[in-house]
Amino acid sequence: MAPDPDRLRDLGSRLDKLQATQAARYKKPPPSQLGIAGRFATELVAALIVGGGLGWGIDWLFGRFLFNTFPVFMLVFVVLGAAAGILNVMRAAKEINAEIARARSDEEK
Amino acid sequence: MASNPMEQFTVKPLIEAPLFELGGHPIYFTNQALLMVLVTVLSASFLTLVVKPGRLVPTRGQSVAELSYKFVGDMIHSTTGADGMKFFPFIFTLFIFVLCSNFFGLIPGGFTVTSQIAVTFALAALVMLTVLGVGFARHGIGFLKLFVPHAPWYLLILLIPIEVISFLTRPISLSVRLFANMLAGHTMLVVFAGFVVSLGAAGGLLSGLAVAPLLLMVGIFLLELLVAFLQAYVFSVLTCIYLNEALHLHDHH
Repeated sequence: MAPDPDRLRDLGSRLDKLQATQAARYKKPPPSQLGIAGRFATELVAALIVGGGLGWGIDWLFGRFLFNTFPVFMLVFVVLGAAAGILNVMRAAKEINAEIARARSDEEK
Repeated sequence: MASNPMEQFTVKPLIEAPLFELGGHPIYFTNQALLMVLVTVLSASFLTLVVKPGRLVPTRGQSVAELSYKFVGDMIHSTTGADGMKFFPFIFTLFIFVLCSNFFGLIPGGFTVTSQIAVTFALAALVMLTVLGVGFARHGIGFLKLFVPHAPWYLLILLIPIEVISFLTRPISLSVRLFANMLAGHTMLVVFAGFVVSLGAAGGLLSGLAVAPLLLMVGIFLLELLVAFLQAYVFSVLTCIYLNEALHLHDHH
């Protein structure tokens, strides 16, 4: 016996509705305050370390092959690293804002 | 009796003799290696064994596997679009590996693989190498445009190094975030466990007070369960975002 198409369609629409509510429930975990703070801190510190390390490396290369420049490049690159850190934090803030906005619009639906 | 809260993170060889030598360094089979093998084998066999194609009503295990496929699939689709789905196997493997390592670490007496910076940095480096490979394969030398924002040329002298540093920061922040979260949580758990033991041993009225840190520990443990999932999610979602940039060369301005 073939299944009743009306009943099948009804089942399909009910399933879709249920899945939509379920999806909203398990989808995006909201960013916690502590998580946001930790994210900003790591972004800032990591950028400083990368900047300083890069500058130190350039100084080392110069000292090895040309003349001693230490600590000129390191100082310049630490400042650039700080700038990159702030850039990273701004980008992270933009991402988090977008995430919160998405979570809000999901709630309203 | 007062146990060292950092002791749980020591990597020690399980077999006395080294397995082989690599460039003069002996390579041991450590507790960390054992846990990584366990996580990989158990998660892979669970995800493949519970799924049987053609079953109309899924069993409980199959539902778990299907939900996790769908969860990661949705995540990739919403951050990278349809052509990011080619990277589904890579991102799904990363997600499951980090998630299961975090959860295995919460089993008392276990070992947390993701609390080792060597492991998390290796994962992050793998992600960044993939991003670089995909970017250069897709766009050739034009991938370097990622480092050139829209600005007058005299500002570019300053902005290009900043963009390059910002890019190089990613593997570090990606690995440090996961490692620091796991390290902090597990250290906190052992510190509070130490409070319970020493208060309980104090005798008299003080022994009754041991209930307070015990209750706190239960709370922290629940929080750690959330963190374990959240960090795996953050790790894979950031991977998706970086891959998306390599695929579509979005500028962020």
